[in-house]
Amino acid sequence: MERFLQYVFDGLSSGAIYALLALGLVVIYRGTGHLNFAQGEMAMFSTYLVWELQDRWMPLWLATIFGVILGFALGAVIEVFLIRPVNRKSPAAVFVVSIGLFLGLNSLAASIWGAVPAEVMPNLFPSAPDDFVRILGAVWRWKSIGILLVALLLTAALFTLFQKTRFGLAMRAVASNPESAKLVGVGVGTVLMASWGLAGAMGALSGTLVAGNNGEVVPGLMFSVFIYASAAATLGGFDSPGGAVIAGLSIGVVENLAAGYQPDWIGQELRLAVALVIIFVVLLFKPSGLFGSARVERV
Amino acid sequence: MFKIRENSAAHWVLRVVGLALVIGFVVYIPTQSETARVGQFADAYVLIIAGLALNLVFGFTGQISIGHSAFFGVGAYATAILVKDHGWSPGYTLYAGAAIAFVLGALVALPALRIKGIYLALVTLAVAVLFPTLVRWKKLEWLTDGSRGIDSVRYDEIPTWPLIGELKGREGRAVFAYWLAFVVLFVVYLVCRGIVKSRAGRALVAIRDNETAAAVMGVNLAATKTIVFGISAALCALAGSLSTLRSGVATPDGQYVTLLGSIIFLLIVVVGGAGTLMGPIVGGLAYVWLDNTTRDAGASGDGIIGWLFGWSDQSPATLILAIALIVLMFVAPSGLVGLIRRLARKVVLVVPTPIGAGATTGSGVVTAEAVPSSPN
Repeated sequence: MERFLQYVFDGLSSGAIYALLALGLVVIYRGTGHLNFAQGEMAMFSTYLVWELQDRWMPLWLATIFGVILGFALGAVIEVFLIRPVNRKSPAAVFVVSIGLFLGLNSLAASIWGAVPAEVMPNLFPSAPDDFVRILGAVWRWKSIGILLVALLLTAALFTLFQKTRFGLAMRAVASNPESAKLVGVGVGTVLMASWGLAGAMGALSGTLVAGNNGEVVPGLMFSVFIYASAAATLGGFDSPGGAVIAGLSIGVVENLAAGYQPDWIGQELRLAVALVIIFVVLLFKPSGLFGSARVERV
Repeated sequence: MFKIRENSAAHWVLRVVGLALVIGFVVYIPTQSETARVGQFADAYVLIIAGLALNLVFGFTGQISIGHSAFFGVGAYATAILVKDHGWSPGYTLYAGAAIAFVLGALVALPALRIKGIYLALVTLAVAVLFPTLVRWKKLEWLTDGSRGIDSVRYDEIPTWPLIGELKGREGRAVFAYWLAFVVLFVVYLVCRGIVKSRAGRALVAIRDNETAAAVMGVNLAATKTIVFGISAALCALAGSLSTLRSGVATPDGQYVTLLGSIIFLLIVVVGGAGTLMGPIVGGLAYVWLDNTTRDAGASGDGIIGWLFGWSDQSPATLILAIALIVLMFVAPSGLVGLIRRLARKVVLVVPTPIGAGATTGSGVVTAEAVPSSPN
């Protein structure tokens, strides 16, 4: 039982990180219908900025706030200057540009900061070996609790933004029909820019949390996290923020249980495979995900 | 600007000159160049094969795949395992790898029957990431040798082919790898050309342009997509087998076996021109040229590339490619081939024969093929 609880809890805290990045994917998908392949790399790049800031000028918490703002700017700039112009040409072009961004941001980070040695990243939360509480025998580390809390708070904030504000209404309008939204006076361009900005900001936060958790920043920081996050977005439904969070947490728990109870067959090596199999199965049987809405296509 | 009539004497002269230039180039490389250069072109041909394979699915059928590195890997490992553990002659392993990849490709295409766009990209992403993970898996170590990979996979002695003659030593191996890659590339090109220019090819393009309309016109979506995915996977596996035979090793973190490989294949197709037969060839050559040039220039800090990217100790190749990819989407979304065609049309315009004017029945689409250097 103790062991079970421990796996569940560890799963929840890694799941919270997947959920954060998945939220970014969902925000962009809702606005534009694109999968932002560079989401993880945008997050990684902002994380390096956070590292640079805290290394030179300021405490980590302030650097994180600046990083989130820079992440927002990065996302918004990418949307306005790179995505919007090619989107007019074809949706496949957007995909290619996002692949280019994936490659470009990754090698740019490697060029600036170097792949080896990794930069040492402090954690936002107390992370000494004895910073934990015991609940029902399982070890709950403060840093894990912190990540979980941040994820839940952000989800609540996003939910409020989507459902209770004028801006959220505009975002939903653009998602459901850009032309009609434009006709009733919604600034479609602003909304799309803000969606990418939001995704960038959330990426910066999740990147900082992942790096703090790992203790280092490397160019491949978000790579596997991005795969888990896409699995979460797929399972939850690409247009459902709540779904992404629930799916992210469940995937975290499932992969931890699978790896924990089957150390021989799955273990650390095949953890990622659990997420990949989830993507495959969901898309084969229920492509709209658990909480997403099926898309109706007009001819 | 010259206007020449399709199938006129001048047009044939252009075609023959183009073909002669291509043949001259292909023969010049292994006979007149240094070994390193021969190797680079052998690598380029292998990449072009993978690009042609991906182009069938991405360029012609409009299905996004970033999973082709896995099929490349299947070929690479099929060759390595069959040669090392089962003592097969390397040549035959190409067929085996292609057959396995065909089945796997058709399986991966199953979700593609229901989904498209980003969802298909996700499935193929999963495949691309899964492959190296499975190769490293402890339970499969008896087959794949885990992270170490399989090494010294090669011909015991270099086979003697007609026309090429007897080859010896390291140099001979490079030349043989070059010719082997070229022959396979030629066959793959013919297969792709055969598919694209036939009724099946028009079905693919119909699916790409409007799936629903294609179904209404009587295209069997399920069968077409599954088979074309299978063929594409099989051709890509050929590239994998060749790369193993050329380098002698198959490892789970080889450049083209991981997700990066899929991205490079995609890059080649898009840079060259998706949905054209010449696209991957131009793209592959451009990629290998750029990769080698920037690597050297970045390392020595010479020239404009050294000046622009010399501040970093990393090779700027990937960064330049990424920038080139994005810039190209802005200035020439149809790739280099589209750009070349547009320029070539300013010099020479091939006008189709008016219907009823000649014995041959010219079709209107042929104007698009007015590239002087394309061997028709």
